[in-house]
Amino acid sequence: MVIHFTCNGKPVTVDVDGDMRVLDVLRDVLDLTGTKEGCGEGECGACTIILNGKTVNSCLLYAGKLQGAVVETIEGLSGDSAGLHPIQESFLEEGAVQCGFCTPGMVLSTKALLDRHPDPSIKEIETALSGNFCRCTGYGKIMKAVVSSAEKLRDSREDGHQSGTGLGVKRG
Amino acid sequence: MAEHTIIGKSVRKVDGIELVTGKAKFTADMKFPGMLYGYELRAGVPAGIIESIDASEALKEPGVHMVLTAKDLLGPNLIGVLPPFDQPVLPDREIRYAGESIALVVADTREGAKRACRNIKAVITPIEPILTMEQALAEDARKIHPQGNVTFSRTLTKGNVEQGFAEADVVIEGSYTTTFQDHCYIEPEIACAVPSGDNRITLYVSCQSPFHIRGHVAANLNVPASKVKVVQAYTGGSFGGKDDAAVEIGILAGTAALKLGRPVTIAHEREESIAGTNVRHAAEIAYKTGARKDGTITARQVKVLLDGGAYASESPFVTMKAMIHASGPYAIDHIEVESTSVYTNKTYAGAFRGFGVPQVTFASESEIDELAKHLGIDPLELRRKNGLKAGDKTATSQVYDQSVGYLQTLDAVEPSLRETGTKENDGRYLYGTGIASVIQGISNGAEGVDVVGASVQMSQDASVLVGCGLAEMGQGSRTVFSQIAAEVLGIPVDWVTVRQVDTDAVHDSGPTVASRSTTVGGMAVKQAAETVRQSLVKMASLMFKTDESMIVLKEGFAVLTVDDTARIPLRDVATAAYWTGFPLMHLAFSQAEPADFDHDTHQGRVYIAYNFGTHLMHVKVDRYTGEVEVLKHVASHDVGKVVNPMAASGQVEGASLIGFALGHMEKVEYKDGIIQNPTFADYAFPSIRDRIPTETIFVEDPTPHGPYGAKGIGEPPVAAAAAAFANAVSQAVGHRFTHIPITREDIAAVLQEEV
Repeated sequence: MVIHFTCNGKPVTVDVDGDMRVLDVLRDVLDLTGTKEGCGEGECGACTIILNGKTVNSCLLYAGKLQGAVVETIEGLSGDSAGLHPIQESFLEEGAVQCGFCTPGMVLSTKALLDRHPDPSIKEIETALSGNFCRCTGYGKIMKAVVSSAEKLRDSREDGHQSGTGLGVKRG
Repeated sequence: MAEHTIIGKSVRKVDGIELVTGKAKFTADMKFPGMLYGYELRAGVPAGIIESIDASEALKEPGVHMVLTAKDLLGPNLIGVLPPFDQPVLPDREIRYAGESIALVVADTREGAKRACRNIKAVITPIEPILTMEQALAEDARKIHPQGNVTFSRTLTKGNVEQGFAEADVVIEGSYTTTFQDHCYIEPEIACAVPSGDNRITLYVSCQSPFHIRGHVAANLNVPASKVKVVQAYTGGSFGGKDDAAVEIGILAGTAALKLGRPVTIAHEREESIAGTNVRHAAEIAYKTGARKDGTITARQVKVLLDGGAYASESPFVTMKAMIHASGPYAIDHIEVESTSVYTNKTYAGAFRGFGVPQVTFASESEIDELAKHLGIDPLELRRKNGLKAGDKTATSQVYDQSVGYLQTLDAVEPSLRETGTKENDGRYLYGTGIASVIQGISNGAEGVDVVGASVQMSQDASVLVGCGLAEMGQGSRTVFSQIAAEVLGIPVDWVTVRQVDTDAVHDSGPTVASRSTTVGGMAVKQAAETVRQSLVKMASLMFKTDESMIVLKEGFAVLTVDDTARIPLRDVATAAYWTGFPLMHLAFSQAEPADFDHDTHQGRVYIAYNFGTHLMHVKVDRYTGEVEVLKHVASHDVGKVVNPMAASGQVEGASLIGFALGHMEKVEYKDGIIQNPTFADYAFPSIRDRIPTETIFVEDPTPHGPYGAKGIGEPPVAAAAAAFANAVSQAVGHRFTHIPITREDIAAVLQEEV
């Protein structure tokens, strides 16, 4: 079937079987390999993408669901320029990346959370990231990175450099 | 000691940008023209005889190119990282565990290959499986392997335990058990084999020991090793798991690729990763400990049984490591440890972060707490009284005159003993505190040859390329190697690139195991960089027309010691050195001091250094539900010298959660020899909600055997965290738990009995 959707801000048309997994559409058809497969059963979150503003496991979703949708993948975050998104900066600054296989999904879950809840509580962060497994870090530094990303996004908004997404974070 | 500019700093992960942007190429991200996909058919029964495998129907399916069984393999059909080499790539007759591969289907797509597996007719006559160590060791037991059901058995003898027990006022005994744990790296095992036009074959693999793969693939493809090139792709975690498993799929992909003349990828699904490839050994451990009234431990006698599953894998060395570490970080005159690994018809056990040390540490540290209770001595004081110091004899009677920072780790956690926070005293919650100590040998030591090769190459623009035979799997070795090269050469870290391991380009450095990257790998990088540095200093001295001793390299310049403004950019020095003919590349080898011990008693020199650690945990247990909250976790380790505090604490935090999960959550569950929970839906994998509040305190007692005094830190926290958790929960509940994991249900069951 022919599917039109928006991927990382650009209109995209693909002609694929409707029962192809979204994960495979992204990786094999569009060559967006930043989205990873860790379990193929919606448990580990390595294949997390943002679909119409919400995180989904792209391994559980069929291509038909993409019709008319707005999709964000890790490749859309930093764009073509070398600049990193503040969430990506925070993950590196806090040492929240080790093997890096879970990182794209982790970063996208963070972004979806901060787009929705600029001031997330620790509990809200736990809920938002509980579907993203990491075996390397023990999660402590990931939690720090999310909190620091929220602060960064708030600061950048206050400075007027960035509009839209993350607004701030509750401190303490 | 000289001030360092880069060593000791929390430098950002040098390969972080490609990971955080998703640009890093893991094996699954590489596509080659004409690429095919392999999928393995698995036995499904824990023990049996293959009567026949008929693939004719499967081969008729569109898109199916080939089915491989044992008879189609090109070489000896043998895998074995260490002797005894007992594991077939595909068994030709006997099946020894349910997750064992018996055939490989190669098709246009992975789904197609998987589908075709269902149309292979494998006739298997089941045989009665041996599912426990007791069954395996029974006198009339069927032999899983021709040599019997004991994989490996050794005894360590120091002094005379009978005499030690005679000197004791108190003797206590305990039995402890642990379960299988899966590595659960988020990227399952994967290998891609690409035949190249030059009559060679290249493998891109997610792995931790690229040279193991090269050797095994060459032997099993019946080609010279020089015809095989292994490139380690970005690797999504390994923790000991991507060694044998990577070898197995590397051989299968290589065989299919060679036969078909096309690239072949084999990517495991999660279920295959858990049920098909190695796990941490389950253990049954019996301790007997004698002590005087004042707390002096006079003797320890230990019997360790490790369930190694169907094949030897790394069981022999796990058995040795458990044996050497069973008596803990204590100076004890009389020790006897008998350590044995056993074959059963279960998924084979092998290397997993900690390598036998977590199992014995849980048991040993539980017993130390019991001893403290018997003697009425504070558990920390009991440990302090017996703790190893420089000049003491270890369990193997090895004496270190430095870098024995064990007692400092006790000092480091001690203030936290009292920081218990506020306790809700409505009767619902129970509070407990546990401490546990660990000793963990660094690098291969008694486990084999311990050589690492590293090359450092400076270009005329003064940028540097480092190659090392050890693999980056997320632990941060590229960052550490970059820091070391930058420190030696006086350049910023971002002028250094550490490339992926390519067996064509680096020396065989053995496996990336045993917390050895920073220590032995770092030494090799340092030595190679120092030789390149000599060329630069020599060149700069010619340019400055002064003595070499007047020159330092820093901030990307050659600088006169007497005048900080007299500087020549290193790119000019490097360019001049090139034109003058001074070498700008060097390949160095660091060889750890070889082990030297008696092979009967295991007395002698076994490791170049030990990491020592103590963990403290405060826990809160819900009396009604058994739920445990870790209120505080302090982890102190003597790492010699911290090269990168952020990366090192990341190792401690990550390893601690794996240890905590070993102590509290995770188990591979069997029923009739079949794993019941081979998916993340059923396996209790810790999520961000299960994280523990680890605070790391480093002790720095430098070793002469590591760069700048550094010792490895990758593994030791696993053991200490698991054991500290067990002690904390046992204290809170008032019941000694002798089995890990101590799950919420286990705790609730004990509390229910006591109500």
